[in-house]
Amino acid sequence: MTTPTAPARRGLSDGAFGLLLTLPALALFGAVVLYPLIGALTTSVFAQSLVVPGRTFVGLDNFRAVLDGEFWSIMRNTIVYTIGSTVAPVVVGFALALALNSRIRGRSVLRGLFLFPWVIPGVVVSFVWLWIFNANYGLLNGILVGLGVVDDPITWLGDPGTAMAAIIIAKTWASFPWIMVMLLAGLQTIPATLTEAASLDGAGPVARFRHVTLPHLRGILGIVVLLEVIWNLQHFDMIYVLTGGGPAGSTTTFAVAVYDTAFKGFDLGKASALGALWLVLIMALVVVYVRISERGEQA
Amino acid sequence: MTAAPPDATSTAPEAAPAPRRRRGRPPSWGAIVTVAVLGVFAFGPVYWVAVTAFTPTADVFRFPPRLFPERLTVENFSTLWDNPVLLRYLANSLIVSTLTALLTVVVSAYTAYSFAKFRYRGRRSLMYLVLASQMFPQALLLITLYLVFSQVGLLNSYLALILSFTTFTLPLCIWMLKGFFDTIPDELIEAAKVDGAGQGAIIHRILLPVSLPGLVATGLFAFIRGWNDFIFALTLAGPEKQTLPPGLVNTFLGEVETAWPALMAASLVVSLPVVIGFAVLQRYLVAGLTAGAVKG
Repeated sequence: MTTPTAPARRGLSDGAFGLLLTLPALALFGAVVLYPLIGALTTSVFAQSLVVPGRTFVGLDNFRAVLDGEFWSIMRNTIVYTIGSTVAPVVVGFALALALNSRIRGRSVLRGLFLFPWVIPGVVVSFVWLWIFNANYGLLNGILVGLGVVDDPITWLGDPGTAMAAIIIAKTWASFPWIMVMLLAGLQTIPATLTEAASLDGAGPVARFRHVTLPHLRGILGIVVLLEVIWNLQHFDMIYVLTGGGPAGSTTTFAVAVYDTAFKGFDLGKASALGALWLVLIMALVVVYVRISERGEQA
Repeated sequence: MTAAPPDATSTAPEAAPAPRRRRGRPPSWGAIVTVAVLGVFAFGPVYWVAVTAFTPTADVFRFPPRLFPERLTVENFSTLWDNPVLLRYLANSLIVSTLTALLTVVVSAYTAYSFAKFRYRGRRSLMYLVLASQMFPQALLLITLYLVFSQVGLLNSYLALILSFTTFTLPLCIWMLKGFFDTIPDELIEAAKVDGAGQGAIIHRILLPVSLPGLVATGLFAFIRGWNDFIFALTLAGPEKQTLPPGLVNTFLGEVETAWPALMAASLVVSLPVVIGFAVLQRYLVAGLTAGAVKG
């Protein structure tokens, strides 16, 4: 044990006590994250059912079955969903943050109100958009038909051509608010003198945005995009409730596929193999992302 | 853009007493249009949910829908209240979310205090490990988690939900509270040590009382996460222990045509506690959300 630095009656050194304080959290992470993670990766080389006890070693058979199956369409759907559900809310949130950063009336009230869609449960967000996108009685079809934009109601969530876009719109509604809050907080740290100086040097709004605002927000934008990508790569709730992965598998992402394979198909081996490949995709994207942003900071 | 007045610099001291209100340039037309358009996008659906929830069921099933209802009713809410299954989901949600909030506050307070005020080997690695746990997809973890909970007889129990919710709420709560504890001066803790206070007394009589707002915000955040969770409650709990999100999906979806007015009424009821809690503590949550990001 190291010599205590402060003259106090304590049985433990500072460092050991500090470590001790983290034990409850570490125990939870070990039991609910680490052990299940290792367990699932192990299961990927076994044939195992959710309902029948016991398992047999099958090597890479599960991976072969997965790669011969829907893997590539699941991969494509996951990437399309992740890009759409990250880019759209960032654009919307950024636009709103810029607008609210001006001396607009009731800014803090507006900021609070705009957060509303973000706090409500994802399942409720799904109900809201299920109803709006409803083919027979939905609001969106009502408006579009009323305005004469389309002649006949569209089955937004039942058509492979529109289902993914509809999900992304709903997800954008739910996640742009927190991005707006983050970026607005960042905008408010830009010294007014900096923008004024740029204006005096003859920089227009676009130049000011590119040379003052954007560089200043790069750190926050980086964090926001990274978190959105990580969350979207594993998002489950809204896809599951809005389409369940359909129609014809057109919105089946890894989250839905792994869940369905394990808990509806009872095939734990195959679900684990699919999940292991999913994890590789997440890790790879995060590593690439961190590399890029590190290089950007050095430049 | 408006030309800067010649005495632009001299206005700065005058504006100093109320810098928050006066900051930023006057809103441009672009800003006003952006706020208006996104306002319709953000609040249009909310309006539509409210209208549907107060519309008699018979008036909803027609096309095109009416933007402004002819008749209003509260019958959609009273049918919810008369449904014992929904009341059980509600009770489950309240129990599980409250206990999740309490457990999360306790666990994350100790961990955040350790990260904020102690120096030991591996501290930074632990901090990043806590954050990295967010990267592991829950659907994948559930495969083994389901088997483990089943083996120890915790499937279909409150405890399984509370442990799962707490674990996945911890990373953000630890970081929020660490930001809070960072602002507490070391001198306060040193002074207590000099007075002979033990570590337990420092935490429970000094640190936690001065951090009460942060603890309440953390608890509220954890409550919201528990209240909103879907996948764990869907998988680990049966009908008796299920919370509202999967409960509502099982009750309302998958029938021939969904009872939209009742479902929209239920949506409002489920959202209400979260919105109220959020409105009360909005300032702390926004501060907590943005603290780490703006500094870094």
